Amino acid sequence: MVPPWRLNQLLERVETGPICTERDFDLRILNKKLRSLIKEYDIKFDREEIVPSDDSLADDLWKAAWDLYLDVGTFCVTNHRRVLFEESEIKEAMRFSSNEITVGTGMDARKMGTRKIEDAKTPHCILSPDITCDEEIFMPYTIAYLQEPLADGVCAPILDTIEGIPIKSGSPMEVKGSIAHAMMFREAARRVGRPGINLQSVGTAESDAAQIAVSNQEWGARTTDTRFVPTLSELKIDYSLLNKMVHYHNYGCIPGTLVGPLYGGYCGGAEGTAIVGIASHIMALMVNQTFWTLYFPIHFRYSVNTSRELLWVLSTTYQALSRNSPFISLSGAFTDAGPCTPMVLHEAAAHGLVSTVSGANLWEIATAQNKHKNRATPVEARLACEVGYGSVYEKIKREDANELVKGLLAKYEDKLGKAPLGKMFQECYDLKTITPTKEHNDLYESVKKELGDMGVPSI
Amino acid sequence: MILSENALIERLKESIIAFDEDEAIEVAKEIVEADLDILKVIQKGISAGANIVSDKFENEEYFLPELMLAGETMEAASKVLMDGMSKEKKDEMEAKRVGTAITATVFGDIHDIGKNILSMLLTVNGFTVIDLGRGIDSMEIVQRAREYKADIIALSALMTTTMPSQKEVIEILESMKTRDEFIVMVGGGSTSLVWADEIGADGWAEIAPKAVELAKELIEKRRRD
Repeated sequence: MVPPWRLNQLLERVETGPICTERDFDLRILNKKLRSLIKEYDIKFDREEIVPSDDSLADDLWKAAWDLYLDVGTFCVTNHRRVLFEESEIKEAMRFSSNEITVGTGMDARKMGTRKIEDAKTPHCILSPDITCDEEIFMPYTIAYLQEPLADGVCAPILDTIEGIPIKSGSPMEVKGSIAHAMMFREAARRVGRPGINLQSVGTAESDAAQIAVSNQEWGARTTDTRFVPTLSELKIDYSLLNKMVHYHNYGCIPGTLVGPLYGGYCGGAEGTAIVGIASHIMALMVNQTFWTLYFPIHFRYSVNTSRELLWVLSTTYQALSRNSPFISLSGAFTDAGPCTPMVLHEAAAHGLVSTVSGANLWEIATAQNKHKNRATPVEARLACEVGYGSVYEKIKREDANELVKGLLAKYEDKLGKAPLGKMFQECYDLKTITPTKEHNDLYESVKKELGDMGVPSI
Repeated sequence: MILSENALIERLKESIIAFDEDEAIEVAKEIVEADLDILKVIQKGISAGANIVSDKFENEEYFLPELMLAGETMEAASKVLMDGMSKEKKDEMEAKRVGTAITATVFGDIHDIGKNILSMLLTVNGFTVIDLGRGIDSMEIVQRAREYKADIIALSALMTTTMPSQKEVIEILESMKTRDEFIVMVGGGSTSLVWADEIGADGWAEIAPKAVELAKELIEKRRRD
């Protein structure tokens, strides 16, 4: 696939853009413009309209994000330069960007595409625990995710030791651990009979060197796999991330961008977070040179996006993208509660519902604020995807989704910030049979029934 | 005189809350010209304004940009006030500083917003803060802490694979036999109290506002001991 925009011109521009300090970029360029655009377009977060049905709000957010990115561009923290684009250049890249790509290979190949608001097309689903795990349980943990029927792709848990030695980011142990991760991941896919499934990334490989080391058609990340070029918050990049991007295009795999604007950070509140989130998708195309994104705005105080404000950010961002761009994006969930709790399932349902109805694909699910080792399981990820599928099959409209999500929020909103930690994977699954324990499965079944009684669709 | 003094202090406080740097500098100049008690001005004007900014941040009325702009406004006004102070008063004020903190996101980690929030909250709470930035080499952190005679070294790490660098800073301090000279606090996404205990840190906090309270407590305790 041709990189989305002109690679040489981009890399040259990274070296020739206007110089400024990072502080000036954050405060006097980005935040200043953002404030004025929120006023100019009169963007307001409405606590009762979590899934707004107002198309003009989505379009105003898109216009504000467009103006923001044209004015502000991207800041490269390595050389303190801004990368700026002409409107015609962004339009050119958008014109040629693909609204559907194929990931994985053989019988496991899947389409990942743009979705519309209230689309009749089911979401592409990547399942991921998004968290570190004990080295000893890496295989059963990964297999548990790979054997989920709704998984179009899987991202494995992250290793923080290999052969008992801690993996320190940027050290040779990171390269060694990342290679081991890639090998075991590939082996796990073969064992579940899905040898060609999209194995997303190698999460243990944080550095550019480690990512480059795991590209291997035989045992590692293949050209049919998706990989990440993260952004730095907000609208920033560095050489190390650009090194990954250049390598991915040279290798021929399918790069995507990690977009995680921070509510409460340089974006300010919900309105600014949505605008920066949308603008980051334009950056993903022009600077990160990627074909898809994983979008996960999170709350600065408790690292979740199942709060009212963040669900609004998710909904409005996806509505804006769906109505105005060809961008392919997956909505990533961050819950407050941990596995094997009713709350995590309510949060998962809210995320799956709001995202799918608003035009997103799904990436499920980081739980327990994404900070506790071994604390995520495929069961809550499955539920989120089932609700996503259900909302498509039941043809749920935005106004219906808005009422349903308010019902879900009523079940957990007052517990945000003090949610139960839940259990670890090895407490929720039988590690020999790699199946959920009776307790874990019973809870899932009972919450699914409860959701059904509430009118929340699932399959 | 009292009326005018109170009015000037109130204007200074309001300029900090509104992060209006030009107004803050203007009022600070008027305060110096009026020969007011600068220590009182700092307490009732700047510190009081900073407290309100902190409260607004806590209530999600203000976010990181407002915090940073208010911090810059405070710095600008303080500089004008300090320039107009006698040496004795300056020494007296220095003695009232809460302490000096070095903040850094450790080697290998590029995530720095949490650390930036902490830096600004420490600043508005009366600390002198030297923010070293992100991805900082462990030895450099130690050298800078010694150079600035810091009271606190606050280390942020978002990822599990960058947490070992927090431990490395403590190991370097121990190897240089300077561990006792500093309070080492750790924080960030994947860290925990268990981790802080395991590596021999002096404190851990889940979020930045709690880290500020902890920093004050640890300094207080150290001075008591």
